[in-house]
Amino acid sequence: MEEKELVRLSREGSEEAFAELVKKYRIKVFNLAFSLTRDRDVADDLAQEAFIKAYYALPRFQSRSGFGTWLYRIAINHARDYLRKKSRMIQISIEKIKESSILQEDKTMKEEKESAEAQRKQFVHQSIRSLPEKHQVILSLRDIQGFSYEEISRILNISPGTVDSRIYRARKMLRKKLAPFFSRQGGEHEL
Amino acid sequence: MNCKKFEKWILRAFDGRLKDNEKKELEEHVHSCPLCSVTQEEYRVIFNTLKAKDFPEPKPYFWERLQSKLEERKKVEPWILWKKWGMRAIPVSFLLIFFMSAAILLFSPPQEEAELTQDLSQSGILLLQNQNPLHDTTALLETAGIEDKNMMLIFTVLEENNGTRRDLK
Repeated sequence: MEEKELVRLSREGSEEAFAELVKKYRIKVFNLAFSLTRDRDVADDLAQEAFIKAYYALPRFQSRSGFGTWLYRIAINHARDYLRKKSRMIQISIEKIKESSILQEDKTMKEEKESAEAQRKQFVHQSIRSLPEKHQVILSLRDIQGFSYEEISRILNISPGTVDSRIYRARKMLRKKLAPFFSRQGGEHEL
Repeated sequence: MNCKKFEKWILRAFDGRLKDNEKKELEEHVHSCPLCSVTQEEYRVIFNTLKAKDFPEPKPYFWERLQSKLEERKKVEPWILWKKWGMRAIPVSFLLIFFMSAAILLFSPPQEEAELTQDLSQSGILLLQNQNPLHDTTALLETAGIEDKNMMLIFTVLEENNGTRRDLK
């Protein structure tokens, strides 16, 4: 069945049709939430709540943008609300991470190699979370989820020019945040 | 050397948004500029780390859990509506009652006066209307006085005609 038909039936109250839409988009919506929260439980809850919001907002959905774009917009806005509420709790202490990475140096080489990738990932994602919320969102959409510039423009309802400049600024900020990490590596970027 | 411009180009190259001639120019520059070479390498590490790989799956029974939440919502919805609108309706109702009472008190005093006068006597009503309740009685008495005077005159004339005086024995 076509997506438009599924949307129409869902709007009329068909749970089967809505179940199909959920099946199609659940991974993408979950990943969006996960890329912003880095917490599986929270991401799962946010994804569920995004679908509930979408279900009740369906009568107001006008098919000008695709269903997917509209759904991602709901999911992103919902995750943003969550980030705003939790912003104080997830204030990142880069120093803490640095400390933990220094402690890691005492471990054996084998342990270090095993944890290196996880550590790098953690550091990068923690650094993202210390960025302003709009930059977190745009990095999540572009560099984690791989949405195109045009898709991002539609999801966030901003001009392509703004998408371009915001992505550039967010990436530069992230690199700046990671500067201590890179300098510690002494140019060995494979980590 | 314009490294700021090439940093933009490095990022555009990662997005596949660089023209062929620009790509060539960038390569040449990065090859000759150690600073931009490091920048390019750092961005490469960042992008590789960021790519959505090894993402966990949503928890099992995603739809089933969602379905039960939707059902729950449907049951709770009337209460949510009441909570949303009913709670607002209470103060509004009180305000309405207050204004209606005020309007009744302000704009219908004659009706109340009428209700009061129902229990009063005729004299009470006249006193309430600031009138003399003895007005009619006085008039009657005054009328009676004139008649008495007339009667006395008639009797006097009759007595005079009879040659007798009332006051004489």
